[in-house]
Amino acid sequence: MQLSDRITGTFIAALGAVAAYAGSLLPPVPGQQVGPNVFPLVVGIGLVICGALIALGIGHTFEEEAEAAVADLAPPESPAARHPLYGLRALLPPALLFFYYFAVESLGFIATAAIVALALSRALGAGWRIAVPLALIAPPLLHLAFFKLLRVPLPAGLLPMPW
Amino acid sequence: MDAFIEAARMVAQPDVLLAILLSAIYGLVVGALPGLSATMATALLVPITFYLSPIAAIATIITASAMAIFSGDIPGCLLRIPGTPASAAYTDEAYAMTRKGEAETALGICLWFSALGGIIGTASLVVMAPILAEFALGFSTFEYFWLAALGLMCATLVARSSPVKAIAGMLLGLLVSCIGMENPAGLPRFTFGVTDLLGGIEPIPALVGVFAVSEVMRALVTPDPPPLPRRRFGSILKGQWALTKRYPQQQVRGNIVGIIIGVLPGAGADMAAWVSYAMSKRFSKEPEKFGTGHPEGLIEAGASNNASLASGWVPALLFGIPGDTITAIAIGVLFMKGLNPGPTLFTERASSMYALYYIFVLSNIIMIPLGIMMIRGSSIILRAPRSAIMPAILLCCAVGSFAIGNNLFGVLLVAIFGMVGFVMERNGYPVAAMVLGIVMGTMFEQSFVTSLIKSDGSLLPFFERPVSAVLAGITICCLAWPLASYAYRRWGARRPHRARVVA
Repeated sequence: MQLSDRITGTFIAALGAVAAYAGSLLPPVPGQQVGPNVFPLVVGIGLVICGALIALGIGHTFEEEAEAAVADLAPPESPAARHPLYGLRALLPPALLFFYYFAVESLGFIATAAIVALALSRALGAGWRIAVPLALIAPPLLHLAFFKLLRVPLPAGLLPMPW
Repeated sequence: MDAFIEAARMVAQPDVLLAILLSAIYGLVVGALPGLSATMATALLVPITFYLSPIAAIATIITASAMAIFSGDIPGCLLRIPGTPASAAYTDEAYAMTRKGEAETALGICLWFSALGGIIGTASLVVMAPILAEFALGFSTFEYFWLAALGLMCATLVARSSPVKAIAGMLLGLLVSCIGMENPAGLPRFTFGVTDLLGGIEPIPALVGVFAVSEVMRALVTPDPPPLPRRRFGSILKGQWALTKRYPQQQVRGNIVGIIIGVLPGAGADMAAWVSYAMSKRFSKEPEKFGTGHPEGLIEAGASNNASLASGWVPALLFGIPGDTITAIAIGVLFMKGLNPGPTLFTERASSMYALYYIFVLSNIIMIPLGIMMIRGSSIILRAPRSAIMPAILLCCAVGSFAIGNNLFGVLLVAIFGMVGFVMERNGYPVAAMVLGIVMGTMFEQSFVTSLIKSDGSLLPFFERPVSAVLAGITICCLAWPLASYAYRRWGARRPHRARVVA
C-alpha cells in the first residue's frame, strides 16, 4: 500500500486539524486555565504542520539516502507481485484477527485458532501436508500453555479440552 | 553489601534461572528467523511475564532481547538476510566473509564481540545509573517535561527516514495516547462512547500490532527467503582472542558508541550498529577492505549493538523514558511488577537493581555456549517453513493480546495497529517513533500540564531552572538540526551549479 506523500501528508494534516478542534472543545479543569484540552490542541497543531510539510515534499531527500542503503538487501519480487490486487493479500492477517474477535466466543478457542492457522499457512503457500498438521497441533499446544499454565480464560466453545 | 548478596540470592532462585534459560533459547530462535525482530520477540513475551515473579519477568525480557540481537546476525551471515534490523548494517560484510569461506570467523566475531559488548554495556549501566539517579532526585516537572521532549526528539532525529515523517509518526503516537480517561481532568477523551477505550490504549497491544502483525502482513507480499544450504561448521571461537588483541581500539569505540546511542532515548541497537559501522570505516587504516569480508567493521558494529542494549535501560529505569523499543516494553513490565521507574528505585529497591545487573552479565555469559549451539543448529532451525511460523506468530498475537487484560478488545487493537504499522512502514513513516509517542504520551502530557498549572500558564518558568534550560536548549537544537542540515544541503547543491554557470 504505497501512497504518495501528498495523500499521506494531507491525511495527517486533516487528522491533526480534527484532533485540535475536538481537543479545544473539551472543558478545562475547573478553576484552572489548562486541562485535558491543551495537549490534543498542541499535538493537533504539530500534526497539521508536519502533514503540510510532507505534502509539500520537504525532507524527502533524507529518505532517499536511507532507502538506497537498504534497497540492495531486499529480496527480488516474484512475478505474481505485479498483479494489481496482490497487495491486498496483506490484509489477510488483520482480517483473520477480526474473525477471531467475532468467532472465538461461540466457536471456542481451538476451532477458531485452527481456522486462522489453516487459512494463513495456505495463503503463505504451504501444502496441505504442513497446513493441516499445523492447524491440528498449534491450537491445543497454545491452549495448554496459556489456559493451563498461565491461567488465561480462553473460551472453550465447541471443543472443550481435557485439561 | 547485603543488597549484593540479597540480589544474588534473588537471581539464584530456580524459577529465575529456568526463565533465563528458556527465554535465551526462545530469543535465539526468534532472532535467527528472518523478519522476526528482537522487539517482536520481547513483545510476544509480555503476556507470559504476567505470571512470573518480578525478577523472573525482567530476566526473560533482558535475556530474550540480548540473545535475539546476537542471533539476528546468523541468517545475515549465512543468507545475507538480517534476522533483526540491528544486524542490517553489517550483513553485507558478514556475508562476504562467508563467501570467502570464513563463515566460522564471521559468526564467531558476531558471538564473541556481542557478548563482550553486552558485558561492557552492563558495566556502563552499573556505573552511570546510580550517579544519574542522585542527580535526578532534584528534578521537578519542568525537567521531566524537557527530558520527555528530548527523548521524543532524539527518536525522530535518529530514525533512518525523513525527520518530518518521524516527527509526524511521533505526534500520531502522542495523539493515540490522548485516548481515554487518563488526563488531567479524568475526562473521557476521544473515546467515541466506546467503553473499552475509557482505559486508554495500552502500549503492549500497539507494540504487538506494529511489530508482529505487520510483519506477518509483510510476509504475505514478499517472497520466501532462500533455503539455507546444509553445512558443517569448524571451531567457532578459534582466532577470536587474536582478533580481540588486534582490534582493541575498534572494540572500545564500538562499545562507547553503543553505550551513548543506547542511553539516548528512542535510539536503539539498529542505530548503534549503523553508526558504528560507518565510524569504523571512516577511522580505519584500510577502508578499501570494507565490504569485502573484513572483520574490522563487524567487530565494531557487533560490539556496539549489544552494548546499546544494557545502556538503553538507564533512561528507562531512571525516568521511565525508553532507551529503545525493547525498553519501551520493559517499562510496562516494570510498572506491572511494582518496580515503578524513577530515581528512588535505586535507593528503595537496590537489591532488585543489582539483580538486574547480575541477569545482564549472566545472560551475556550463557550467550556464548548457547550461541555456539544455535549456530550449529541453524541449518535445521532456518529450514522451518515461513508458512508454519507466521500462523503460529499470529495466534500468539491473538492469545497474547487477549491475555493482557482478559479482554477481546485487545485482539481488535492488535489488528488495527498491525494495519497502521504496515501502511506507515510502506510509506516511510518510522513506526518506532509512533510507539515511543504512545509509551511516553501520558507522562509527557502530565509533566506538561502540571508544569503549566504551576507556572500559571506562562512558558517562561520552563526555561528558568538551570537543568531545564540546558535540556530545553538541547531539545531545540534537535528540532533545528534537520532544518539546518536541509538548508545546508540545498545551499550545497546549488553552489556547484552556480559555479558551473559562472564558468
